[in-house]
Amino acid sequence: MNCETCQLKELVLEPPEIREVLRCILHTILFHRALGLVRPKDVECELFDITYVQCEDHELEKKIDEKINQFIGWVEKHPNRKSQVCISFYEVKNKHATWFGNKIERFYWEQWYINLHIISPKPHGKSHNTKAHVVTGENAFEGSNSRCAALESSLREVLFQIIKFVNEKKDHIPPLQNSEIVSFPYEISTPR
Amino acid sequence: MELGSGSSRPSDQESEVSLLGGPCTASGPSVNSLKLRSIYVSVSMPWRFPGLTRNLWIEMATSPSHSSPESAIIEQVITEFFAKSLHIILESRSPYVSSRNYSVDQFMSSPSSSCSSSSSMPRDKWFNLALRDCPAALENFDIWRKSNLEPLVIDIILIRRALVPDVARPLGGCLLRNFSGNCDLAREPKSWKIVERWIVQYERHKSSSSKNHKDVRKCGTKNNGGSSCSSETAFYKKTYKRYIILFRSLYVFIRLLPTYKLFHELNSSGQICPLSLSHRISSSIQPFTQEDEAKMSQFTFVPIDTPRGRLSLSVQYLRTLEDIRSEPSAPLSVQFILDYVGSPTTDPFRRLKSLPSAPSSPALVSFTRQHSWSNDHGALASVPLCPSVACSEARGICCNPSLCLPSLIHRNDHSPPVISEPQNAAVTHKNNMSFDEFWPSPFSPTLSPSSPAHLPGQRSPNALQSGSSQIDIAKAHPITASQTQACSSEGKLQIQMDTVRYGNYQTGPTIVKGFPSGKDDTEKLAELPSSSTQGPLSRSPSGLSLLDKFDDSGFACPFADYKDVTESCNRRSPHAVVGAVVQMLMTAAPLRQDLYNLCRPPQVFMDESLNPCVQYDQANTEQSECPASTSETLASVLLKSKTAAEGLEELRRYKEMKESILKQGASRSSDVDNGPRSPGNNDQS
Repeated sequence: MNCETCQLKELVLEPPEIREVLRCILHTILFHRALGLVRPKDVECELFDITYVQCEDHELEKKIDEKINQFIGWVEKHPNRKSQVCISFYEVKNKHATWFGNKIERFYWEQWYINLHIISPKPHGKSHNTKAHVVTGENAFEGSNSRCAALESSLREVLFQIIKFVNEKKDHIPPLQNSEIVSFPYEISTPR
Repeated sequence: MELGSGSSRPSDQESEVSLLGGPCTASGPSVNSLKLRSIYVSVSMPWRFPGLTRNLWIEMATSPSHSSPESAIIEQVITEFFAKSLHIILESRSPYVSSRNYSVDQFMSSPSSSCSSSSSMPRDKWFNLALRDCPAALENFDIWRKSNLEPLVIDIILIRRALVPDVARPLGGCLLRNFSGNCDLAREPKSWKIVERWIVQYERHKSSSSKNHKDVRKCGTKNNGGSSCSSETAFYKKTYKRYIILFRSLYVFIRLLPTYKLFHELNSSGQICPLSLSHRISSSIQPFTQEDEAKMSQFTFVPIDTPRGRLSLSVQYLRTLEDIRSEPSAPLSVQFILDYVGSPTTDPFRRLKSLPSAPSSPALVSFTRQHSWSNDHGALASVPLCPSVACSEARGICCNPSLCLPSLIHRNDHSPPVISEPQNAAVTHKNNMSFDEFWPSPFSPTLSPSSPAHLPGQRSPNALQSGSSQIDIAKAHPITASQTQACSSEGKLQIQMDTVRYGNYQTGPTIVKGFPSGKDDTEKLAELPSSSTQGPLSRSPSGLSLLDKFDDSGFACPFADYKDVTESCNRRSPHAVVGAVVQMLMTAAPLRQDLYNLCRPPQVFMDESLNPCVQYDQANTEQSECPASTSETLASVLLKSKTAAEGLEELRRYKEMKESILKQGASRSSDVDNGPRSPGNNDQS
């Protein structure tokens, strides 16, 4: 079975935006892979004018938030770096009983790479000139607005990319193993 | 999944169902409604097929020409595909279409319950996507379903209309039922534009040797060795997962389009907006103009193959709505809002307060403010109320309902005000004086030569009558200090109403009984022609200003127990309440003297101002009664004189007694000094 891989478009964002962006992307991916009976929940992004969808599953939300916290912790220690968050779907097969225990093999059939470029906000230069400081502040505000607008546009593109991918590639999805909401086992990997 | 046919439910039910037939099903029935027989299909649901419940009731055509249940299943899936697409689209595009009545239990029910609840799987559970109930979508689909699986074209239309104040246009969908492409919108003078076009269609394969058939046969070969029935089922099982994923994508995708933002704004905003979203459903595709085509983007979901065709879903949408939303709309006509909050029309009491000359205004203002909670507000507000109601702390006025609500007095005798003004003033003052012994009277301070207290409104005679009678009542039944608690506004109001109605009650004899005066006083009271019998009091209209002074005064209510009265008033009829009040007054304990002393200072002040000639010097044994220069002071003077006279009389008696005792003592002491008397003298005595 092939493992389909999807490299999502890189997003440039600041640390305060990490949580919202990752929530949006991870929930969108999982909503397309949670093939059990779900009750969709519309969520309005706090930072962006985007509505994404969640499966109303508390366990899932909890796991996603834990992983996001992990990633944010890593970013705090490694600022201004490009990084990836990977979400993988796998099948558990061939449980070999060995002398050391049961060996569980995972066959990954799909992997999503969320490419993030975390930038730290530039501190404003101190200026004794009030007028210059005001002008600098205004420029910074406009720059921040344009950056946020660009990020929102990029995020929307990423979501479209996910939709296109899940629509085009369906043959690699294994048969449904259970009737739970989250149909396939998954794991979210963050840099260490 | 094993399908068994032939076994019927204990109670076979025949139902009409419009069947999806057509040329794709060679052995299928013709279109339109057919009488069906519900057949219980026992389905052993594997965990691999979560879209269906364990025991699935499937309504199928029982026509002998129908080939197999599997075809019916496929057709059912196709039908539900269209329904689900329509549901998802309209739920996020038509304001007010999507219902908020949503119960998780409806959609997350256990398999066992789903079996017994419906004859077929609930539509919203199809493709494992539980959606909110959308009656409009279902209604639209029911209409479309009779069209024999023609393409379902859903146009989302943005309407811009001029705001007309007298038009209340609901923001909602516009449903076409004729599939002719005409829309009601065309008749209305407004601009509209198609911002999205969704097309759901089922393309039937023309040749039997299509790829799908090969795939179907392949599935059959794998599972059950070539049976066409099981091959289609297996194929359906495989493709059902695709349906699920497609609808997941549709649900997410539709919320990323520009129109969703507008829909969300319209749905969440309660303001009247010139923009609105509507939809049009048709079976024909009207091409766009080149200009519109250039502004639109297209997205096509990957079609899903069925054994005999292909289901496809695509959308054309405007990339941006900003240019449409920014178009200038028709200017609104200038209108003057007359009923704004705070205007005289909405808040008449505020207006009335600004007009002090209006006699009833302050009463209304105060009454409304205090008793806005009252259910009788509307009724009571129409009644000119006693200004004393203005202050709940007003000890006397608010608890003298006889002075209030003159309109409630119904005097059958139509007797004119008997007491002339001077007499009335005197009686009033007199009564107030005696009343003040037990309770501070609000009227005594108010009585002045120029502006005695009066009742609001032009019905002053009646009001005076009621007022005096109330005073008489209060005098007749003095109440103790413990009963002088501030009454609740409810109680006060009720008491006011009831007591006014009771105002005609003549309490002549009771005055005598309850009034702590001597015999002479009683006679004097009786001599007053009007005070004890008819009790009218004349009030001048200018007394309203005096009553206004009591807005901030702290006059306690003379009524005994407002708690009891309140409770009783709430339950009984007004007449019963009045009787209860009277009974209470009659059985009330006499006021103590110390209360009079506590309340004396303001009264004294006023008394001195009113009657500087009156001297309360106890050393003055003679009753000093200055001849009242005006008629208003005469009654007060008489009242004061009477009270002073009484006191002075007693003082004189005590002095006489003292003198007599002193004389006796002196004579005894002189006898002792003189020694014992001679025997002859004693015999002679």
